[in-house]
Amino acid sequence: MRTSAWLGPQLLVLPMVALALVALPASTPRIAPRMVRLTVLATAPQATSCDPTASLRPTGPPQLTAGSFMATIRARGYLIAGVDQSTYHFGYLNPLNGQIEGFDIDMVHAVAAAIFGNPDKVQFKAITDAQRIPDTQSGAVDIVAHTMTIDCSRLKLVDFSTVYFDAGQRVLVEKGSPVRGIGDLGRQKVCATKGSTSIANIAAAPSHPIPVAVPYWTDCLVLLQQGDVAAISTDDSILAGLAAQDPYTTMVGPRFTSEPYGLAISKQHPDFVRFVNAVLAQMRSDGQWAASYAHWVGAPVPAPPLASYRG
Amino acid sequence: MAGSGVTGAAMTSVSSPPEAPPVTPLRRPPAQLLRVTTTPGMLRLLLIGLVALCLAWGAVAAWMVSQRASAASDVVATSEPLSLDGQQIYRSLSDADATAATAFLSGGLEPLSARRRYQADIAEAASRLEAATAVAGHSGAATDLARLAAGLPVYTGEVETARADNRLGLPLGSAYLREASGLMRGTLLPAARDVYAQANARLAAANGQATGLPWAAVAVLAALVVGYALYRAQLLLSQRTHRTINVGLMAASVAGTVSLLWLLIALAVVRVDLQQARDHGSAPVAALAQADIAALQAHADESLTLIDNSGDDSFQADFTAVRRQLGPGPGTLLTAATSAVSGSPGAGNAAAARADATAWYAAHQRVRSLDDSGAHSQAVLSAIGSGPGDSGTLFGHLDSALTSAIAADQVVFSARAVAGRNASVGLEAGVIALSLVMAGGCAWGLNRRLMEYR
Repeated sequence: MRTSAWLGPQLLVLPMVALALVALPASTPRIAPRMVRLTVLATAPQATSCDPTASLRPTGPPQLTAGSFMATIRARGYLIAGVDQSTYHFGYLNPLNGQIEGFDIDMVHAVAAAIFGNPDKVQFKAITDAQRIPDTQSGAVDIVAHTMTIDCSRLKLVDFSTVYFDAGQRVLVEKGSPVRGIGDLGRQKVCATKGSTSIANIAAAPSHPIPVAVPYWTDCLVLLQQGDVAAISTDDSILAGLAAQDPYTTMVGPRFTSEPYGLAISKQHPDFVRFVNAVLAQMRSDGQWAASYAHWVGAPVPAPPLASYRG
Repeated sequence: MAGSGVTGAAMTSVSSPPEAPPVTPLRRPPAQLLRVTTTPGMLRLLLIGLVALCLAWGAVAAWMVSQRASAASDVVATSEPLSLDGQQIYRSLSDADATAATAFLSGGLEPLSARRRYQADIAEAASRLEAATAVAGHSGAATDLARLAAGLPVYTGEVETARADNRLGLPLGSAYLREASGLMRGTLLPAARDVYAQANARLAAANGQATGLPWAAVAVLAALVVGYALYRAQLLLSQRTHRTINVGLMAASVAGTVSLLWLLIALAVVRVDLQQARDHGSAPVAALAQADIAALQAHADESLTLIDNSGDDSFQADFTAVRRQLGPGPGTLLTAATSAVSGSPGAGNAAAARADATAWYAAHQRVRSLDDSGAHSQAVLSAIGSGPGDSGTLFGHLDSALTSAIAADQVVFSARAVAGRNASVGLEAGVIALSLVMAGGCAWGLNRRLMEYR
């Protein structure tokens, strides 16, 4: 319920938004197989010029150097994190205790613990997918932990940490639906959030589904339950959270994109990027990452994504 | 008037009635019956004219009374209840939305008090909706009421889905609440506002029709015409027939005077009553209701800003805009309400509402600064709290001051409007009966003179 836009009246304009979204750039050659083509789109056309997952190398274990952005945060007294409030198991407002919880949120708590020695010195701001980049750029939040795919076009606007989760886009439908993947959804309405890579992937799918954009992922599930859309298509991590809330839904089809998640930080704070990467490196090695994965995503726990650095 | 001594001279100078019967045959042509040159012809013409005038007077007066009476009864039986219902529908729906939102704000299971308040709001809205639909008939408000009737179950269904998901600990619940609140703010509340606005416009029109002066002027003019005609007829009769007083015409004149006086007095009483009903009743109620609607909207904005928590300040911006409209301050709704209620029973509460609003704004400011400095849960506690100094408590004071003032002035309105409607009871039948007496008097009086020529 923490949202910037109350849905009702907007639902009426969604089809129009969706139609506008169909006109997204799709200049990749048609000869490419579907999987490859969509993967390329997901990581934006300039993929060849950039290795999106390579981040800044930490200078050692997390340290609060004087004059650094971490010192500024510490002086303020709390970290400001832009997070999701509606993605079950990644970043969601637990209605039972009013707390925001999830795998993404654990990453933020670890960063806060490294700065303050106390994981709870965090002010969470629930933001929509579309707000992630503007809020990072404006400094409204220090860090964004929001199932956010690292890609080259976003890297031009904000910096990312190393990859902390590997996801891929799939399709969620109601049980009994004949749909077996994104290819079966031509001319049908498919829901994703505004400003997500998923909505661009839906718009660019060769089967030409009709993308329907909403502020939060749970809004997509409302539309699916009310029969207003035929399917939801986004990262399997998010879809698993939606399926967990409605046992009458099921995930179908293979992963057709690769979505490496990173924590977004303003380009003005490379010191903070290195610091966060140091925190993530520590989490990978000391078992924190695996513990959080086991708690939120479940067994079997894979090896953490390898960190890749560009200097 | 003329003495009996000049009778012979007057009669011979115009015509000679005693000579007429032998000359004329038994069956005279109709044209001759009404010949003005002969006295009987003139008398017959006068009789027909006066009877027609008296009946016309009765018709005009009765029509006017019935117009005004139906306007007055529209005020009492239709426009005013519809306006009140529209206002209450808006109130309860807006409160239901804010209550549902704050119940979710509290985290964990919703407080029982919030649940009960929400249910009471929905029950009130539903029963008002039914009452308003019965009263509205086919007026413009009917479309909006139909939209409300169709949308309310959808809204409550979504809120219940939200509750069920919430009980399972699923974030899907808040998506349903968001959907429900969007329906409320986007469709239901605007429809309720329309019902209220249309009912108010209709109330003003009906009140104007029931108190307007032009038709009273027409009635007075018509009465003057009839009165002058009766006077000239009696003058003529006394000149032609040398009878100073014609009892029938006198009776007609008296009945005419009585009906005019009755009409004027009753209409004046209706006018005074309905004007008082407006000035000390519906006008202050409308001004207070506007202020209350603005206060409810600002309160919902406060809750929604806290729920939103996303740095998007559109609800807070709306709060600021609504607060500017609400006042107190020059040109604001609260100031308008205070001046509208002066001299009415709601004045005390309206004055209290001004102070309450200022106190609430201060508490709201504390909520905002708590929330902005990261103390979100403390901000929530103050917004939904019931302790002294909590924003929730202080808004409650403002709301109850305004609703008490509305209730007090509503009583004035109902009493005066009913008195106004009752002031013209029996008037319509009365003026018709009196006009028949007038016509009968004229016919009888003139017929007696005519008999003298047979």
